Amino acid sequence: MKIEIADNKGMRVIAISGDIDMYTSPELRKELMHLVQKKITPLYVDFRGVSYIDSSGIATFVEGLKGMMGYGGKMKLVCIPERIMEIFSFAKLDKVFEIHGTMSDAVNS
Amino acid sequence: MGEEAKLTGSEKRPGDTEKKVNELRLLLEVSPIISSTLELDELMPLVMEKAKDMMDAEACSILFYNRETDKLEFEVALCAEDSASEVLRQKITLDMGQGIAGWVAQNREVLVIDDVRKDSRFFGGADKQTGFVTRSIIAVPLIGRSGLIGVAEVINPKSTEFDHEIFQLLCRQFAIAIENAQFHRESLQRERLRQQLEIAAVIQKSFLPDSPDLTKGRLRLSAVNISASQVGGDVYDFIDLPGGKTGVLIGDVSGKGISAALYMAKFISDFRHVSLLTDRPDVALNRLNAQASGAPLGMFLTAIYAIIDTETGRLEISVAGHPPFLRLTKGEVKVMSFQSGPPLGIVPAEYPVTTLSLEGGDALLFVTDGVFDAKNREGERIGFERIIECVRANASGEQIARRVVEYVEEFSRGTDRADDLTMVEMRWSA
Repeated sequence: MKIEIADNKGMRVIAISGDIDMYTSPELRKELMHLVQKKITPLYVDFRGVSYIDSSGIATFVEGLKGMMGYGGKMKLVCIPERIMEIFSFAKLDKVFEIHGTMSDAVNS
Repeated sequence: MGEEAKLTGSEKRPGDTEKKVNELRLLLEVSPIISSTLELDELMPLVMEKAKDMMDAEACSILFYNRETDKLEFEVALCAEDSASEVLRQKITLDMGQGIAGWVAQNREVLVIDDVRKDSRFFGGADKQTGFVTRSIIAVPLIGRSGLIGVAEVINPKSTEFDHEIFQLLCRQFAIAIENAQFHRESLQRERLRQQLEIAAVIQKSFLPDSPDLTKGRLRLSAVNISASQVGGDVYDFIDLPGGKTGVLIGDVSGKGISAALYMAKFISDFRHVSLLTDRPDVALNRLNAQASGAPLGMFLTAIYAIIDTETGRLEISVAGHPPFLRLTKGEVKVMSFQSGPPLGIVPAEYPVTTLSLEGGDALLFVTDGVFDAKNREGERIGFERIIECVRANASGEQIARRVVEYVEEFSRGTDRADDLTMVEMRWSA
């Protein structure tokens, strides 16, 4: 798993690639919670390069989301590949997270 | 032959033989220590004490390379003052390239410095913190099979005649011994963890119903639950409710390992309490969701809770982000994807309820994702479609859950089971 955090004209984007599982999610948690502590909002999560996510990985985003709810922050998941979207839809996580097909959709929402 | 010629040659100076003998004696003394112990804490001070004595040095130390932080940390420091050793261990770390040790670690080369004041690489920070005065230093990289282990330093050696090559030779042996001891320590830790996971799996199983089978009137329930090698958080339960009703739960806690097992244990005790307060599955899930909202580390749980009237075969079902279940009716297999709320413990929610009437001979199969997410040796996932096919092929038989589990086990033979695998079969006899 690789994590890249970009500050694009004040827009904070965290781009992840590779597998997000019980072995890699602690590293993601560290980065994500660091941004949450700084009360970043909105936080865009670019899923374009994600090849797999398990429930440990999803729990990491849930923790981040709950942390952001505390200060009224918004987490927007963007460009989720079809296979990963199936996992989200299967578990009705599309009811939990704000999901957008493209970055411009996410920005304009 | 060469060494022998040197030792007996006519150019030999009077002290040479004695020096060589002393150096070889050191190697002879240290070699058995190095090869006889796998305990790092015993090994390092013993060897370094020997090196310090032989070189008549004031102090010596070992710094370990921490791969995660990319820094050098003092592991052993032998000085006249114990307090100085403690300060080094507690407070001083060096970046790669910083100070003499940092330079040695970065360049993987030996450094012999007779006067550190004349060397710009010297880092005075350690001396400032400890009050020790470093004048000269010999620093050798410790390199094992897997790369850099650390740096060994001998400080203010009085014996200038000592052969540095002997110290390097000693360090080479020492590096291998440290690596062996580290490997030994890691394998012990792995073994302890494995034992703890085994115990967690046994305790986790004890929370499940005493018997995986239950018969009540025309209702027959049977469950199969197989733990992952790392222990997952699958849960199922059968609850006897007032008014001739029976509650059937299947669930899956996010994540794996001891945290998932512990959370599953908490959830099942909450469930047993809440399920007795209501005969409506949606109300039960609403309450359980509220109770789970404070779950640590973003942990959540997917679940299906069904309550069946054992007189009529009428079912009420509520789903919390759990995978669909299968219905076998009149020889057909149907995927039942009901309206669902989110998994429990994430956001406030009102769970929907769906009603279903079973007909004689019907069977429902509830699964956790460990069933269709199982991988084979090539890393291919079994997938929901293959499970449906397997159910279809066994639709006319009894104990379909067992047949499916056998199929999954055959598919993933030769791999470590990554997730728990749970199936609950509900039959309404004709």
